[in-house]
Order: sequence, then C-alpha cells, then structure tokens
Amino acid sequence: MKVSCLQENLAKGLSIISRAVASRSTLPVLGNVLIATDQGRLKLAATNLELAVTCWIGAKVDEDGATTVPARVLGDFVNSLPPERIDMELNVRTQTLHLKCARYDANIKGIDASEFPIIPTIGDGKRISLEPETLREMIEQVTFAAATDESRPVLTGVAAKFEKDKVTFAAADGFRLSVRNATLTAPVDQPVSVIIPAKALQEVGRVSGDQEEAIEMAVTENRSQVLFRLTNIEIVSQLIDGVFPDFTRIIPESHATRTVVSTAELQNAVKASSVFARESMNTIRLQVAPANELGGGKMTITATSAESGDNVGDIDATVDGESVEIAFNARYLADVLNNLRAPQIAIETSGSSSPGVFKAVGRDDFTHVIMPMHVGK
Amino acid sequence: MTIHILSDDLAAKIAAGEVIERPASVVKELIENSIDAGAREIKVETRGGGQRLIRVADDGGGIPASEVETAFARHATSKLNSMDDLFNIQTLGFRGEALPSIAAVARVTLITRARGEAAGTQIRVDGGKMLEHRAQGAPQGTIVTVEDLFRHVPARLKFLKTPATEAGHIADLINAYAVAYPGLRFSLVNDDRLVLQSPGTGKMLDVLVKVFGIEIARQMIEIRDWSLEIDSNSQSPSSNLQSPISNLHVSGFVSPPSVNRSTRKHMLFFVNHRWVQDRTLQHAVVEAYHTALMVGRAPIVALDIVLPPDAVDVNVHPTKSEIRFRDTSAVFRAVQHAVRAALVAHAPIPAANVGTPFVPRAFPASSETQLAINLHRPITDHASRITGTEAPISNLPSPPFQPPHHPTTQLPMLRVLGQIASTYIIAEGPDGLYLIDQHAAHERVLYEQLAAERASATSAVQELLDPLMLQLTPAQHAALETNRDALASVGFQVETFGSQTILLRAVPAVMKVSDPRAALVETIDEMEQGEEPLEKSAEARLISSVCKSIAVKGGQVLSLEEMRELVRRLEQTTAPRTCPHGRPTMIQLNVATLEREFGRK
Repeated sequence: MKVSCLQENLAKGLSIISRAVASRSTLPVLGNVLIATDQGRLKLAATNLELAVTCWIGAKVDEDGATTVPARVLGDFVNSLPPERIDMELNVRTQTLHLKCARYDANIKGIDASEFPIIPTIGDGKRISLEPETLREMIEQVTFAAATDESRPVLTGVAAKFEKDKVTFAAADGFRLSVRNATLTAPVDQPVSVIIPAKALQEVGRVSGDQEEAIEMAVTENRSQVLFRLTNIEIVSQLIDGVFPDFTRIIPESHATRTVVSTAELQNAVKASSVFARESMNTIRLQVAPANELGGGKMTITATSAESGDNVGDIDATVDGESVEIAFNARYLADVLNNLRAPQIAIETSGSSSPGVFKAVGRDDFTHVIMPMHVGK
Repeated sequence: MTIHILSDDLAAKIAAGEVIERPASVVKELIENSIDAGAREIKVETRGGGQRLIRVADDGGGIPASEVETAFARHATSKLNSMDDLFNIQTLGFRGEALPSIAAVARVTLITRARGEAAGTQIRVDGGKMLEHRAQGAPQGTIVTVEDLFRHVPARLKFLKTPATEAGHIADLINAYAVAYPGLRFSLVNDDRLVLQSPGTGKMLDVLVKVFGIEIARQMIEIRDWSLEIDSNSQSPSSNLQSPISNLHVSGFVSPPSVNRSTRKHMLFFVNHRWVQDRTLQHAVVEAYHTALMVGRAPIVALDIVLPPDAVDVNVHPTKSEIRFRDTSAVFRAVQHAVRAALVAHAPIPAANVGTPFVPRAFPASSETQLAINLHRPITDHASRITGTEAPISNLPSPPFQPPHHPTTQLPMLRVLGQIASTYIIAEGPDGLYLIDQHAAHERVLYEQLAAERASATSAVQELLDPLMLQLTPAQHAALETNRDALASVGFQVETFGSQTILLRAVPAVMKVSDPRAALVETIDEMEQGEEPLEKSAEARLISSVCKSIAVKGGQVLSLEEMRELVRRLEQTTAPRTCPHGRPTMIQLNVATLEREFGRK
C-alpha cells in the first residue's frame, strides 16, 4: 500500500472513528484502526463489535493495500503533525506502516488487515431517509433519558418506530421518559420498530455535524443491526433485542394543572437550587400558585439540605388550574430544560404523586415525563 | 456385697474429688475464701506446680479462734444461713466444702487472726485429721498452707500433669481473679519467682496491662457499663414465662479484631465477679466479632456481667465454674450488643499484615501489626501519664494505665490513586496507603444517609415510571409481608398483584441507578435469612439490607471521579472504618511498614 493524503483529513477521519475503538479488549486488533485503499479513497474503520464506524477520506492512491495500526499511536502522532501532506507506505512483510509528513517520519507496527472484523454493509435494501437537522435534534432530546447502567439492557436503547410518514424516538431509564416525534420526508412502506443503543445514536449525532444531505438508515434483514449512512461516513450498530415498555401508557392523558414558565428562568432557578439539592438526594420542590388578587401566578423552586441550608427561588408563571406542589430530581429537571429547545416550557401535573409532563410550548413533537419524588411515610 | 455407710474419711475424699481436681482448684477455693473475707491483698505462693506447696495469705477478716475448728467441718460456712440466701448469693463460696475438702486430701496448716482479736490461732490438719490447734501470734487475716496435695489419694496424684502445666493453670486462675477484682492486690509466686503482681488500683485495664502486657492492653477497647435495654416484645421463649432481666450490666474490655488468639482461653467472663467458663457467653462474643475474625481465632476479652443474683444459678457444679442464667437469650443478646457496639464505635483500621518472606530476620514480622496501630495512638498522651503526678497506690512501679484514647473515627483526607481487581480503591493518606473496599465503603455511606433520613423522617422516594412486576417465592412473600411497613418507610412502595406477584411502584431515591427489581429481591432475601442478628430494630436491619443490595458491588469498574466521590462521602460518615455489618471498609499500610518492607529502615 502506498497512499498520500492531507494531515487535516486524516486527523478528522481518525477522530470520527475514534469512539468505536475498543479501549479494553482481549482482541488486540480491536484497538487498531483499519486503513485501506478503497476506490481511490482511503477507508478508515474502527469497531468494538457493538458499534462500527467507517469513514472515507480523499487520498492519492499509488498502490492498493490495507493494514491496521494502533488507534492511539496513529491518532496521537497524526494530531501532532503539521497540516501538510502525509505519505504512507506499508511494508507488507513486517506489517509496518511508514508515515512521512514534512520533516517527520514514523514507523508504526500494525496487525494484518485480515484479522480485522468484517464490518457489515447494507446492500440495496429498504432505506429510510432522515433529515439530518431533525435527526440530530431527536437524538439530543431523547438519548439523555436512556439508562446508563446495564441492569435492564432495553432501557439503554432508544425505541425507534417508523410508520408511514411518522417517526417516534423514545427513551426511558425507569424514572423518566423522553418521546420525540417527527415527520419523515419520504414515507416508509413497512412499519419498522427497533431498539437502537443510545450510545450509537449519540455517535450518529456527534459525527453528523457537517452533514447536509439526508442521512440514510437501514435495518438488516434479521433485525440485528442498523446502519446509518452519511456522506463519507457509515455507522453500524447492533440492535438491542427485547421489548421496550409501552411508553404511551405512561404518559398521562389528563392533568389538573398546566403551568407555563420561561425555560431559561426555570433553568436558572433549578441550577441555584441544585446547590442545596445535591446533598439531599437531589430533591427540588416546585410549588405552583395560580394568579390571585395579590398578584400573578408564580412557581416557587426550593431545595433544603440538612447540612448546608436551603434556598427559595420565585419565577413568574402562567398557571391554569389548582395550586400544586411536586418534587423532582434536580438532575432530571436540568436535563429536560437543557434539551427542550423552546423558550417556554409547559409543566402538566395532577398532584404531588402523579407524573410530571414537560412539553415545549408551541410545538407538540416533544413530551418528557418525570416521576416525582416524595418523602417516605 | 453388703451395703454399708461409707466411712467419714472415704466420704470426705469422694466429696473432695468433686471440688478439688487439681492444685488450681485448691487455689481457687482459697482465694475465693479470701475475697469473701474482704481481703485487700492476696498473696499466693506455690511450689512444684502446687502439689508440694500452696500458700494463700490474705489480710481479710480472719476466723475467730472459737470458730476455727468448725471451719474444717463439712458444710460449715459463714456465708449462707437460709434457703432464701441460696437463691440470692452474693459471695463466691457458700457450700461449705472448701476447707474440709482440701483438708481431706492434703496437709493443711491454717494461721488466722480475726479482726479485733488479740491473738491468732494455728491449726494443722492432715488427711482430714486434726493434728494441732494452738494459739499463736499472727497478722490479721488468714494464711492457709496446703502441702503434699493428693498424698493420700494416689489415683489423683497420677493424673496430675507436669508441675509446669499445673503452675500454668494456677497462673491462669490468678490472672482471671486479678482481672475480676481489680481493686484487690494479687500476687503469685511460683517456685520463688514472681509470676504476677496486680496493682490493685481498681481499674481493670491496669490489671490487663499486667496480665496481657502493655502492648495488648493499650489496644483493648473498653465497654463502659453497657446495660440491657428491656425489650418488651422480646421473642425469646424464656422471657415470655418470666419477667425479663431488668438490671443487666456489661462492662470490661475487648480486643480489636486485629488482636486475636487461637484459643478461647483468653476470653475471661465474670458473672457477678465470679469467673465462669460459659459457652453461651463465648459464643455471644465471637458472634459479635462476626466476620471480623478469621475462623478459629478468638478475641481477648475480659467482660464483667452484673445481674441480679436471682437471675443466675451458680449452684450447678461444685467448682461453680459453670452457671445457669434464668434468661440465657437476654444475656446472650446483651453481651453481643455490648461487644458489637464497642467494636463498631472504635474499630480502627486493621493494619495490613504483610507477609515478609523476603525480609531478613532483622525485621521482625510479628511486630508489624503493632507498629501500624500505634500510629493511631497518641503516644505522647501515654508518656505524660507515666510521669504524671498521680502516684500509684500500690508499692509497684507500674503507672495507673488509662484506657487508650482512641483516635477520632474521622478519616484523614485521602487522595484516590486507582482501583485494583475492580473491587478495592487505593488511596493515599498522610500516614500511608489505604485500601478501601468499594462495596463496604459504599454500604457505609448509604447506611448513614438512609439512617439520617429516617431519623429526620425525610427519606426521599423516587417513583418508578413503569411499575415493575416481580414474582416472589412464598418465603420471600412472607418476608415481604412482615416487613411491608418498614420497606415502605425506606421507600420501597410495593403492591400485591396476585398471589405471589407484586408490583414495585417506588424505590428509595438513593438507588436511582441500580436495578430496582434486583435490589428489592436482594433486600427481601436478606431479611428472610436475617443475617443481622445485631441490629436493634427491624428498620435498622432493613436499612442495612437495603444498603447491601444497592451498594456498588465488588468487580464493578469505577471511574476515578466516582472513586473520589465515594471516598469523599466516606470521609464524612461518622464510622467510616466499618460497614454497617461490621466488616472493615479499609485496611492501611503505613509508611513505616512500607519502609521496613523495602528494607529502608
């Protein structure tokens, strides 16, 4: 293999695939990146067997070939090179990759490319076309609610459902639920319902920043893998096998009180209360009082810590319904507020032990449910 | 064969056989007499392991001249008058068998002068026969000399062990009594060599210094008058029949788990100041150490259990070393709780006892435990005691030893270095290396958090998005039903859903990230098996079960950030050195040990 490319392109490509490199694997080749020539381009790939990311960069191929080299070594070295042309040449016998850039030279010892796992690609099957900006937003608004511990694997994933021209993403960790709907640019023939690991979706969101063209998504015949194809990037992930809880049942259909507040104001008040809440199980209390003859409606945000003290914050609120008091985990509140993407938030409640429903005012595509906290009797 | 009444001599020898087994039995009977006589100082001298000579001299009340001869008659005693007294025994002896029994099997010389009498009496008895009885000048008190023990009982003589062994038994006995009666000055001289001299300062610890050595004594943990709480709904069957023992006090000293022995010989129990060997009590103490001690090891213990005389029956065996409690389980619980409480409160970090296969002989391995723990002791404090103004009461040079001032239970600031075996956190403190068991540490953190919440009635409950369904076994279901209220109070909200199925609706807010179902099942199992016989209330038991089930487990990889947070929270707990089940959360390798291990010092 003999190939030349620009340092910027190689560095960027390596950064795109970096998250798929297995950090602690018993299989050494999984700690390597695959470097291969592919129809006049240079293909970079990494996989940890759950997630695989492939990226193509422009290059001048003099001689075809492939090898794998340690991801850390290559990545760190390339990042420290000047932004000039890099010439790479592989010594096939020793599997040593020689790099030359300006006045820098390196020889990196690799492992034969044949040992690298074959990363599946999806043929000409049914593809779902997704608008990149929408997909990114959906990923952001949903994945944070997925569980991070593996005790219930299904909850580490995002339930993705495609039907006609509708797509729904939902994630829950047992205490909160995030649901985001969107309209597809092209309807699907067959309904598709899969559970995609939240980490894989986050990776799609991360690398799709520059993406302008539609992102294509496809599920393998046996429903074990999902592929996202971007311009010059492909992400393949295992799907999670299992049944996602019926989240439509969890979202309450009615409410007693609807409170609308400024997202930024509530965000700030929650941030202030978190200082005290973090020492008392992160409990933040919201008290909502409707407008009366003394003044307009308001929401009072309080937190109390036995050790460090307490605080009270007041913000204006438009309250429709009775006064209510409800407690939530501060982190859950902060998470939904950070990902709401709307200037105003509506909180629908029916009492201190009923779920709190959070919606972006002015749009009906996002619903977030947080289960309340209360003091044990 | 004809049936005939045994001769007096033979009957006496048989009876003596029950009381006097070996030289130590003689010493025991005699010093008990001395103690009952109100002696302040008891001097014991033995030769030939006690077989050739035992002399017990005291400064007690003495025996009036007119009663001396009666003292040698069987069932003669000044300690008991009526039947009622038998069930309310305040003295060590009462059977009236000691002197005649000894006299039946040895040559006894008794010199005594009662308080207020001008002249003393000397009496000599050999094999039960009176040889001499005359007036003689003597100091106040009684001196009993027993010579040629078992001379007339060759069968017994044959069964005596070597003089050294018998002397050892006598030393154990005197040690025990010295500990039981710290206010008395005991001395033991064997073959002209001083074996023990107790200071008589009235402080048990001062005696322990003499008996076990200062290094062990300074580590002993004191139990200060721990009294039993009356548990009205006690489940012990015996207490249902009788009123519970109300005045049960436990005090004394126990060794930290790091100081232990391979036999239970060093577990001294005194019931109303009577030295007893009781398996129940031994078991209670060993239970209290729970898993802190390795199998087959026993702690060093000196415990005085004081309870009303009518709550204990000492008249079980002629030597009175066996006793019966009216409410054994209450005593068991009291002792266990007392020891447990003391251990948990004072548990210092066990010092890592590093094997020293590569270290030359010059570095004694045996002293390592010692050195490590000494670091926690304010040695200056002790030094100032020695030169202090408080003059010892006795004629001995030994300073009155103060209970060791235990270090504050607070941890120093620790810097987390990493994790090994995905189970232990390595941290550096100002005094060396700490290895922290992540599970035990997290349990402690959670336990205090939950307990504090319970105390302030503010335990936070997090409701579940989707109620979780659980299938329980009938046993689990029963355990759940009995503890439903307690479970609800810590935050597990459970609904019955069919016969063996339940719905879990809410969980304690502390356990957000774990698997709620597994945690509940584990908690139920814990309650079912009742691994916590030591906790007082069902709720405390529950809390510790909950902690066990929701704490981070060994084998879980933690990020540096998570470890730092855990250690920071552990530092803030009140008893960071043990988990709620009493196991240590950390061991320490101090710099001195490391230096020795590497041969730097």
